[in-house]
Amino acid sequence: MMNIRNWSLAFKLPLAFTALVAGIAFTIGAAIIMQDWFRFREALEEKALLLARSAAVNAPAAILRNDYWELYKGLKSASAKGIGGMRDEEVLTSMVLNEDGRVLAHLYPSDNPLGMPLQTKNEADRAFLSIALHTTEPRILRGRGFIEGVIPVFSDEKKIGVIRLRLSTVELVAQIKNGALTTFGLTAILVFGGSILVGMISRRLLRPLTALSTGMEAVGRGDFPKLDPAIIKEGDEISKLEASFNRMALELEEKKQLERELSANEKMAALGRIAAGVAHEVNNPLAGMLNCLDTLKRHPDDEKILERYLPLIEKGLNRIHSIVQGLLGEMRTETADDESDASCLDDLREVALAEIGERPIHLEWGNQLSGAKINCKRVQLIVLNLLKNSIQALDGKGSVRFRSAQDGPCLFFEVADDGPGVPEEQRRHLFDPFYSTRPEGTGLGLWIVYRLTRSMGGKVELTTSPEQGTVVQVYIPTDATDQDNVDWVI
Amino acid sequence: MARSRRNVLRVTVFVLALFFSIGTAWAQSEKPLRLGLTAVVASENLRFFDRWAAYLTKKMGRPVEFIRRRSYREVMEMLEAGSIDFAWICGYPFVQRREPEYLQLMAVPIYQENPLYHSYIIVHRDSPYKTLDDLQEKVFAFSDPDSNSGFLYPQFLLANMGFHVERFFRETVFTFNHGETIEAVAERFADGGAVDSYIWEYLAEVKPEMVNKTRVINKSPPFGFPPLVARRGIDKETTARFSEIMISMSEDPEGRAFLKELKLDGFGIFAPELFQNIREIADEVKKARPWLSGNNRK
Repeated sequence: MMNIRNWSLAFKLPLAFTALVAGIAFTIGAAIIMQDWFRFREALEEKALLLARSAAVNAPAAILRNDYWELYKGLKSASAKGIGGMRDEEVLTSMVLNEDGRVLAHLYPSDNPLGMPLQTKNEADRAFLSIALHTTEPRILRGRGFIEGVIPVFSDEKKIGVIRLRLSTVELVAQIKNGALTTFGLTAILVFGGSILVGMISRRLLRPLTALSTGMEAVGRGDFPKLDPAIIKEGDEISKLEASFNRMALELEEKKQLERELSANEKMAALGRIAAGVAHEVNNPLAGMLNCLDTLKRHPDDEKILERYLPLIEKGLNRIHSIVQGLLGEMRTETADDESDASCLDDLREVALAEIGERPIHLEWGNQLSGAKINCKRVQLIVLNLLKNSIQALDGKGSVRFRSAQDGPCLFFEVADDGPGVPEEQRRHLFDPFYSTRPEGTGLGLWIVYRLTRSMGGKVELTTSPEQGTVVQVYIPTDATDQDNVDWVI
Repeated sequence: MARSRRNVLRVTVFVLALFFSIGTAWAQSEKPLRLGLTAVVASENLRFFDRWAAYLTKKMGRPVEFIRRRSYREVMEMLEAGSIDFAWICGYPFVQRREPEYLQLMAVPIYQENPLYHSYIIVHRDSPYKTLDDLQEKVFAFSDPDSNSGFLYPQFLLANMGFHVERFFRETVFTFNHGETIEAVAERFADGGAVDSYIWEYLAEVKPEMVNKTRVINKSPPFGFPPLVARRGIDKETTARFSEIMISMSEDPEGRAFLKELKLDGFGIFAPELFQNIREIADEVKKARPWLSGNNRK
């Protein structure tokens, strides 16, 4: 069932107006018709009395003389249609009765014979007859389909009979019906015309609003449409709204453009930073190694020097090797996109235990993702880096917890430790490449986690405190398409 | 002095008398002849009677006027009082009023070759009534209490049946007009009525839609046709002249046109004995109602 609140304004507005117009027109029409009805009925009542009076003119003498033929002629002339062009109403019946209700004359003598009591067909007729026989004043009786004028006939203040004349109200009702039809016809035309007009007006009014709402939706999607200037040419509130919307869209677009430029700049800057980092990280051992080589060249036969410097050179090369390995590993993994079962994560458990070795570190494992499809290589690298970080952060004892689960539309991975947490001043650099708090660290672990997560459209949340240790939570949307272009915002 | 004064008086009287006699003679010659009409003819046809009056005026050389009254009685009284000179009346008032001999039979219309007509007892075409007997306790319409066909004859029929009008019918009405009697029956205001056969047949042609709704259930023996009469007081010469004009209408195209409209063949001179049978049935009725005998006005 459609809720009326959800209907379009383009429909509701004309509907409301139509209802209003129809209501007013109907009320006025009904009032006019009622007024007409009362006025016409009053006129008809006057006519009924007048006609009965005209039949009554010669009645007293005729009744006294038993001149029933004269009475009948009087009734006929009073009941003749169109007498003096006075009316079109049909005389249903007319009669002269004596005080006992016997017929002295009747417009329809064959059914109402002279000298016989008036035949009444039903209770209502009997009631009317009784009223007519007992009235001493001219009066009007209103019945179903007729109006009756009753004139008592007196002679020397003695009531000697009564004249009754009924006018049909059929014509009256027909007239009123015609009037009602005309009124309601006009109402219908008015309502029809009015609703078309209001429909047009409201469409005109609503077109900018509709455009505005479409525009807003586009903004929500990230587009910045500009509204048709043709509909903003008027100076009303809606046009002002449209103009401000256009300004807003323009400003938003400029902002986005700016951001895009900024992001490109930052990408370049980050790239530079990584290059500088790599250069710096590689340069340090290289300088040491070159120094060693120089010394070895000058003392080629000095065993002692050889013994002392060769391990140094090896150490430097190893360091360069691990840096390059880390970068290469990340880059390779980033493009890996083979989906496989989440149970592949359980392989990491052995790796983590090997990393822990003999140290009193408890590993809690809770992989609840069995059956779900994941990008195994990327997620493995993410989780492995987090596990390594946690184990290293523990300083030789404590516990590490791994959990994974489906969380709504996301896959959820959590690695937590009860270590000392990350000091305040280090937190903002945690995800920077080559930032490490340990001398042997490459500073690439969390950077890799961040980049891989972002490459799958996910996000990383890190909470840390000295009391509760550090918890890293990774959310990866299951329906995310591969983000080939990884944001370089770091 | 006294003599001359007497002479002056004589001359004055003479002159006055002269003027008076001339004035009277003038008035006499210009005084219109007035003919009273009753229900025996369809006198509502005003334009016809105006034309006929003009024709008669031309023939008589003095104005002739038609006078209409509702009842025979009014016309008879006017005749008696001398306020009208002639009248076209029914045979019944004629025989009633012949006793004082103030009426003179002037001419009798000839209808369908005879100076005769009938009384018809009529009922509504769709009614079940076949005889007058069936109309007991019903409403009956008479034309005029002094009408032969419209009152006397049905009274006579009832008297023969041993009934009185007042007790036989439930209600009776006088329409004072044969046409209206037919109307009353046609509209079933009255269950039956008594009418002049001439009027019934005349209206059957003029107003067939009305007359066709009625049906004759009793036709009387022939009676003398309602005659034209003159009051006794009028001079014989005028009466003879007027009678002659009426009788000669059938010999004159213009007159024949009027007769045709009246649906009459002409007028003729007939002896008063023509109305003898009306007098007889009037006597019969009186015998049946002994309390009425001697109630012969004047």
